[in-house]
Amino acid sequence: MRVFAVAFLVALACAPARANDTGLIFVSNEKTNNLIVIDPKTYKVVDDIKVPRRPRDMHFSADHTRLYVACGDDDVIAVLDVATRKVIGKLKTGPSPEAFAIDEKRRRLYVSDEEGSSLAVVDMERDSIVREVPTGAEPEGVLVSEDGKIVYVTSEAGDLVHAIDADSGKVVRDVVVGLRPRRFAATPDGKDLWVTAELSGEVDIVNRARFVVTGSIAFLPPGMRKADVTPVGLTMTADGKTAYVTLGHAAHVAVVDVPTRKVLGYILVGKRSWGITLSRDEKTLYVANGLGDDITVIDTKSRKAKISVPVGRVPYGVVVDE
Amino acid sequence: MSNIYRLALALLCVASAVTIASAQDAPPRAHVKIGFVDVENDPRYDPIRAYERIVLKTRAHPFAGAEVGLDEAAALTRVLPADFSLERITAKSAVDVAPAVLVALDAGTHFFLIDAPADAFTPLAAAIRGRDVLLFNVSEPDDAQRRALCAREFIHVYPSRAQLMDGLVQYAVSRKWRDLLVFAGPSTTDAAMTAAFTHSAQKFGARIVAEAHFKSGTDPREREQNDPALLSAGRDFDAAFVADDAFDFARTVPYRLARPRPVIGSIDLESVAWHWTWERNGAPQVNSRFDRKSGGRHMEGPDWAAWVAVKMIVQSALRIGSADFAKQRGFILGPGTFDGDKGLAMSVRAWDHQLRQAILLAAPFEVVADAPIEGFLHQTNELDTLGDDAPESACHLDK
Repeated sequence: MRVFAVAFLVALACAPARANDTGLIFVSNEKTNNLIVIDPKTYKVVDDIKVPRRPRDMHFSADHTRLYVACGDDDVIAVLDVATRKVIGKLKTGPSPEAFAIDEKRRRLYVSDEEGSSLAVVDMERDSIVREVPTGAEPEGVLVSEDGKIVYVTSEAGDLVHAIDADSGKVVRDVVVGLRPRRFAATPDGKDLWVTAELSGEVDIVNRARFVVTGSIAFLPPGMRKADVTPVGLTMTADGKTAYVTLGHAAHVAVVDVPTRKVLGYILVGKRSWGITLSRDEKTLYVANGLGDDITVIDTKSRKAKISVPVGRVPYGVVVDE
Repeated sequence: MSNIYRLALALLCVASAVTIASAQDAPPRAHVKIGFVDVENDPRYDPIRAYERIVLKTRAHPFAGAEVGLDEAAALTRVLPADFSLERITAKSAVDVAPAVLVALDAGTHFFLIDAPADAFTPLAAAIRGRDVLLFNVSEPDDAQRRALCAREFIHVYPSRAQLMDGLVQYAVSRKWRDLLVFAGPSTTDAAMTAAFTHSAQKFGARIVAEAHFKSGTDPREREQNDPALLSAGRDFDAAFVADDAFDFARTVPYRLARPRPVIGSIDLESVAWHWTWERNGAPQVNSRFDRKSGGRHMEGPDWAAWVAVKMIVQSALRIGSADFAKQRGFILGPGTFDGDKGLAMSVRAWDHQLRQAILLAAPFEVVADAPIEGFLHQTNELDTLGDDAPESACHLDK
């Protein structure tokens, strides 16, 4: 044990300070307990990293030296060294961590524990849960406000979005949204939260100051049935003009004009698309197709899929090291 | 979102913001009691035993399902206009159900989960006719309650036999198992199941090649009736359907047919409201919450229905921002859509108060498919390809 700990410290000390801009694409596979790493130019799989069981949500540290991966069946967030692509640590969470957000300044992780119906606040330095905030059943999406003061979390089974005070760990506001709210995007102007409501087949827009729903956007790709439209993942361009929403079983990504809240078009992807990530230059969109066992790579200019890459059983999320 | 729903949501959002702002001078909270009514020695929950008194299936009342629903409501306390509680009322027999419900109704309970056998329904419907009450049927699939009885105070959360058998036949037809051999059992439940299956086969274009009436046992003089091989010999078929509520014969059918064919119905591929291996639509979390609540039992159809019934009551209060019974009833029977972790959003059919829902086709360790099966289309809602649709319904509560 001691030898292991020393080795761990040495590894930390020797790790390069920055490992960013490799452009590598990381995909988490829920059922095969691994991350697949894909070369962004050739779209070939260049690495297959074994991680704790059921990897789902992933986030890089701000300097991109670390990749954090929520591993639902082992109740940990695995810490990967991006340069060596090895698991170098594990942070304990509550039962079945699904999604999380990082507050680098406070060195905290906010983790939704799907089975525990709580938001765990993890101190990254001490590797301990410093607080557990009870939420509605099946919490999922987590978002930290720009100033780190408020943490937003959805309750899938409670049809709620909670606003939690980061300091006190108390829920300060609740808002009822559509059926089965899943994930968030915040408009860059700080005014609105976009929340996917999976079973209502829409995105609900929550005004952050008043904490009320001010509108919603419904989706229906041509030829699809309303019942198959199950929005889950979403992302927004840095200028706050365009949003992309994965529509789950409807196998499309919706492109939305944010100011007018109008759907501009739909892009065909694979089965049960959930995870979605935009490249830094916003030219490429990556979508994880949970029941297609692949990811779809989309050219945002032409709004067409360029290629799909097989990755393993039940891909959950995609992130890009850049 | 329908307009009514949207309006309700907008009002609620305003209401909840106001509530939080003025929490200190708020009036005392409303309290909504939910009665859970079951029957002592209900034969539907007798354990199914093997000849040697080995228990093959333990069966339990779905109270734990209702408790899971109540726990979820507790997490919503801040946004709910009322508190909720469950009261378990156990009647001595089926005929005691109606008086027990009346006593609780007179004491102010308006919502009841009814976990009673079919013979309790008619007297119960007569006793509460016209009263301010909603009775959620959480365990009885009998089609007669949806058709002949046709009482507006009932909501059938548990799927009807017609829904269950339609789902099963949709799957058979989708696999091109069009020629079906039927093993019909001796009980009235078996007869009802066989009738529903036969009707579904006609509806979806499958053919019943023969209806064989079995008699469970080992008597060699009755082997023409108790041996699956002899019962299935002399004709070809794509699948064998078994209607055997007692389960004694059903368990002898797989691997003993004259031809190597799949078995569906009471064993192997079963048509169910819920299954513990369902892993989509958030089901694993519900299953594990139930597992903890029930002390390690697998969640079954009635448990699911009891959970959903409580959820419907709580959701209606959440969405309209009120615990006024008439308003809640209006929402549940009207614009209300509900999430039952089976994918498609569920709602109550206006004509017979049956809950629209997906049906799971389950093997012992895998949900093989969920109906409506892709390709079975409907002009308004694909869930209405399962069970009695408005045009063919014998019940017209909406007219």
